[in-house]
Formats: sequence, C-alpha cells, structure tokens
Amino acid sequence: MRGFMMKDLAMIKSNFKLLAILIIVYAVMGVTDEMDISFILPFMSVMVMISSFSYDEFNKWESYASTFPNGRKNSVRAKYLITILLILLMAVITTVLSLFIAHSKTSSLAYENILLTTLGNIFATIIVLSLMYPIIYKLGIEKARIAIFVTIFGIAIIGGILINYVDLAKFLNVLSPLENYWVFIIIGLGIVFIYTSYRLSLHFLLKKEF
Amino acid sequence: MKNILEVKNLNKKYDDFALKNITFDLPKGMIMGFIGENGAGKTTTIKAILNIIKKDSGEIKIFGLDSKRDEGKIKEDIGVVLDDMFYPEILTPNDINNSMKYIYKNWDEKMFNSYLKDFSLNPKQQIKKFSKGMRKKLEIATALAHHPKLLILDEPTSGLDPIARSEIIDIFQDFIQDEECSILLSSHITTDLERIADYITFINDGEIVLSKTCDELLDKYGIVKCREKEFKDINKEDYVKYKKDRYGYEVLVENKRDFKKRYDVEVIDKITLDDLMLLMIKGVK
Repeated sequence: MRGFMMKDLAMIKSNFKLLAILIIVYAVMGVTDEMDISFILPFMSVMVMISSFSYDEFNKWESYASTFPNGRKNSVRAKYLITILLILLMAVITTVLSLFIAHSKTSSLAYENILLTTLGNIFATIIVLSLMYPIIYKLGIEKARIAIFVTIFGIAIIGGILINYVDLAKFLNVLSPLENYWVFIIIGLGIVFIYTSYRLSLHFLLKKEF
Repeated sequence: MKNILEVKNLNKKYDDFALKNITFDLPKGMIMGFIGENGAGKTTTIKAILNIIKKDSGEIKIFGLDSKRDEGKIKEDIGVVLDDMFYPEILTPNDINNSMKYIYKNWDEKMFNSYLKDFSLNPKQQIKKFSKGMRKKLEIATALAHHPKLLILDEPTSGLDPIARSEIIDIFQDFIQDEECSILLSSHITTDLERIADYITFINDGEIVLSKTCDELLDKYGIVKCREKEFKDINKEDYVKYKKDRYGYEVLVENKRDFKKRYDVEVIDKITLDDLMLLMIKGVK
C-alpha cells in the first residue's frame, strides 16, 4: 500500500502550495476577527484528493494498478489513508493556529471550544469524504460530480425539511442524557462512516471492469 | 511446468462482441506474437488474463497457478505494458520509482535508472512532457524493472520509430535469454513479430484462428497466384482462403510442398504475417 500512497502524495504535492496559502489566509482572518473558516483546511484536503481522481481516470490508472499485486485493494486503502492523514494534519494545524491566536488575544483560553470545533470539522469532512468516495469509485469522477451535487443538495433539502417539522429543542432534550459522551459518539460515528465508506468503495472497485 | 501461460476455453460476452473459446498455450522461454485486426479481441483477451475484466467461463493458468485464486502471487512476476494505461501523467519517472519500490518485492531501482539512462529519459520530467515514443519506453522500463517472468505487452512498439523499435526488440530478446521467461506480445507491426516471435496466435472476431510456431507458419504456408481457370481446378479442401482481385486470384495454402506435388504450379510465394492476416480476414473459402 505504501507504493500507492507514495504515488498519491507525489500527485498532490503540487497542491501543497494552495494549502499553505489557505493556512496563511486562515491565520490572517483569525487575527483580524473575520468569520470562522476553520473548516476550510480539512475540507480542502478532500478537494485536493478528489483532483487526484481526475488524473487517475484520465490515465486509466485504476486499470493499470489492477495489474499489480493486490492492486485494487491497495489503491483504495491508500486513497482513504492519505485523505484521513491529510484531514488530521490540516485539523492539527488549524487547532494550533486557533490556540495561538486565542492566546495572543486573551488570557483566558477557550480550549474546549476550539477542540470541539476541530472535532466537528473533522467529523463533517469525514462525512463528506465518506459520501463522495464510494460514488466516485462506482461512477467515475466525471459522472460522480453530478451525483455528488445531487446527494449534497438532497441532504440539504431533507435537513431543511426536518428542521421545519421537527421540534429541535425537544429533539435535543431527548438526546440530553448523551451530553457527556458526545466526543466519543462523534469519534465512533466517524469511524463507522469511514469504514463503511471504505468497504463500499472497495466493493465497487473490485467489481469494476475496465 | 512446461507452459508459463495456459488459456483454455476463455469466454467473455458483451452486447456487441464476444470472446469465444479462446485457447492457447505459451511455453517457457518463448515469445508469442498475438495478432489480429482492431477489435478482434486481443486487448480483451489480455485484460481477461490479467483479471482487469472478469471472464464468463474458461480457465487461465499462469506459472501453473490459477489466475484468479493466486492473483497476488502471480502478479509479482508479471510485467505489463497496456495501451493507454499508465501512471498519471503529472508524475515523473522518479515518482514512479519511489512508488514501485514499495509495490514489487523485486523492484530493481538500479535497473530502472539504467533503462532511463539508456532511453535518455529525464527522471525529473513529467510524463506528459515526454513524446509518445519516450512514454512507451518509460512504460517498458517500468514493466521490466521488477524482473518479471512473464511480460504481457499490448502494442508496446506502436508510436516508436524504427531505431527505437529495434532497441526495444533487442531488449525483449535479451529478456528471453533466461529460459524461464516468456513474452505475450500483441502488435500490429508484424515485421517485428516475424523477427522475434517463436509462436503466432491469430485472433479474428473473438475466435482463435490459429496458434502455431512462427517458423511453421512462414515455412509451410504460401500464396498461389493464378488465373480463374487454374483456380477452378483447385479442390476446396486444398486451400485455406482465397482473394480475387482484378489481376487474378491469391490463394492461401497451408502446405506449400504438398500443394506443389498435387498441382502444376511453378511458384508459390512465401507468406508474410500481413498476407496471412489479410487473406484470413478478407479472403473467402
């Protein structure tokens, strides 16, 4: 799998400059009290990885990689692992920057808030990745763009409808016994999402004929 | 194990095309030329051998092992060059090396770099900046650098000039010096195959038309050129196919010597693989 990770890393290295610029923008906006864009960096990691799918598809990489020992399996594993590592790296950078900025502004640090925001960002990004990757493996990146748009749009609409018809306060009240366990629940759900997504992607790629 | 590759009754059906009972063997230490017109089923057969597509039925054995069950083990010892399938073109030969050394247990970095040098390929240049010929050379270097025992090559010399082709063919001949190694080589450039192939397998419309040693084909088969009156004297079972043009008849015969004994013909032309393909495909019985 390491060989596949090396290939993916080599492909996205040209995007590292873009991520570096975003880190600077994030730092500047944090200092100047602009809106919170801490989600941008982890989210961009997924976007960067998605661009690697386009190159793969253009050069029929998956087909070529399936001639390697355990090629299909390792190819999917590497994509997930690199993406998760990149998301975590960006989340760590964002958190460190946020803590540093907060520390320079006030003596009382809201550590808990910052860490919870980071966790929320990682979770949200993992949901996006977990939805997108199986669709890409099933349909190919070109057709997947439309499917991803429809999926995200659909989720937004369903979410909107639910908010209108569900009494949110009541709902949160029902969940209140879980209040002390949210961190673990979110981490657990994240792992379940990503593992399910990985199994689905692997299933699609193993079945695929080129 | 005598044969490095055995394909038996391979079938694969699509809506508009099918591979039908593909059967052939590739012995150790041999080069097999795999010929046929575009769309005949060469690439589909190769994809089925490599499990890039799933076969509907049939048996494929590589190194005496089942191609599906023992896939991981088998693929350590196969090198491939496939038409238009490779590493993404934003990568460089150095990136390929850094990736491949963790993919194949036997990856030989020194050998890869030596090929890059021999082929004058800049290790730091992106693949997309290479010419088509240079890219092909890179694909061949990548296929060879893990010391495979079987090379499966789909049009490896297409797009190369005669000098580059000659270099590549020399490399294939060196590769085959180790009698444990074999090459399955699909190509349209039949003159190259006449130079290096030990066996020729000819596929047409998803079916194997013939699979014989190259010497047997080129020595035994021949073309009789005659007029209509002479053609009418030839029994149907004594020729394979014929083609009629405005100058007369071209008749493909399977055994030149036998034919000469039976019929009063002065000259039977030697056959080339191009002639063979043309008469087999366009000719009638």
